[in-house]
Amino acid sequence: MTLNKLQEYYLPADSKEVAALLDKHKEGAMIVAGGTFIHGLIARGLVTDIEALIDVSRLGLNYVRKEQDQLRIGATTTFIQLEASAEIRDEPLYGAIRDALEYPPPQVKNSATIGGCVSASCPYFDLPVSFLALSGVVSAQGSGNSRNIPLSDFFPGVFENALVQGEFMNELTIPVPSAKSASAFLKLETNANDLAILNAAVWVSVDSAGKCEQSRVFVGGGVGEVPVRAVSAEQALQGKVFTQELCVTAGQAAKSDVDPLSDHRASGAYRKAMTGVLVERALKQTLSRLA
Amino acid sequence: MKQIINIDINNEVHEVAVEKSDTLIRVLRERLGLLATKRGCDSGGCGCCTVLVDGQAVYSCMTFALSLEGKKITTVEGLRHDGKLDPIQQAFIDADAVQCGYCTCGIMLAARQLLNDNPHPDEEEIRKGISGNLCRCTGYQKIVDAIKLAAASR
Repeated sequence: MTLNKLQEYYLPADSKEVAALLDKHKEGAMIVAGGTFIHGLIARGLVTDIEALIDVSRLGLNYVRKEQDQLRIGATTTFIQLEASAEIRDEPLYGAIRDALEYPPPQVKNSATIGGCVSASCPYFDLPVSFLALSGVVSAQGSGNSRNIPLSDFFPGVFENALVQGEFMNELTIPVPSAKSASAFLKLETNANDLAILNAAVWVSVDSAGKCEQSRVFVGGGVGEVPVRAVSAEQALQGKVFTQELCVTAGQAAKSDVDPLSDHRASGAYRKAMTGVLVERALKQTLSRLA
Repeated sequence: MKQIINIDINNEVHEVAVEKSDTLIRVLRERLGLLATKRGCDSGGCGCCTVLVDGQAVYSCMTFALSLEGKKITTVEGLRHDGKLDPIQQAFIDADAVQCGYCTCGIMLAARQLLNDNPHPDEEEIRKGISGNLCRCTGYQKIVDAIKLAAASR
């Protein structure tokens, strides 16, 4: 398959130019950066009507910056650039990001971008689940102002996102919580180059007595059309001293929050059973990072 | 409608007319006749088409040619220098790391990036470095041996 209707491949130099191009081509336009997602769609015949590709990789959006109250990641930052950034290294809070970056092969890490990975809204992707657990917020750039969209509102359905006509994602921000916290991510996969059978990301903050103050538990990877928030697991953690046993209890609780899909990778029943296992293990990893 | 681009492949700038939707592998094989880079799955799953762009391994089936103006591309044809094989190429011969050979060119370039970044990788790092490349013949052991040999020969 190929893009038979493609007429233009643009390499704009700034956001204003992107906005003008999106306005000119409307739904015939598609934003690209690393290209790893669109080629998969083209190969499967899922994208055919695109008239204009707008390559945003030269807008200067490759950066990872730590500010007092937030981490800012530019949309065209590649996986390898994020992994190499000193800002997320050794920091327990960003454990879930580092974990998710362990899985893709070098060729994907060198090309794929944070913005592409998030705005693709593919339910089998890994990093967005970590970003959900970390309360990530998308910055959507329109022709005038930009607006912030919490990731929890960003994924209405498979391959759909909350961006409206004329907008593109230019940044992801992750707030820095005031309490002591850590996060972790785990993926279950058939081989090194496949999408997830199931994945899970958790973030937990604790008080000075070691009790769970706040938590966010998300399960993704074929568990549903979009990643699912495991509210029962969070309730099981709430106010309790964070221990190995509590991780088991919360993992079991997470199973009641999911009603997973069956597909060629795994049955829904298997995914449900593994939800308990992955959430438990991710919580244990988080617990060890808090030590 | 085609567009003319200048594209630096193996330290030689080629002026080539490409379709807007052309991927790098199409330009290499069909427009320039550089056939070492192999087309496998054509959707980023097998790694046969791996090349280096500015020293980093990428899938050429997932890279738009028009995104590459000003970047340096290395294919297997460009691995040898001063008439001598790259240590990785020599090690693949010495370790008998090739059976059908279809995956070999891609794996050697993934290995090239690995050794550029990390001249003395351990076995786990080697296996991770080639995790984006499938081989259906060798079971990988001789490929891992070859990369170890190349690392030791430096």
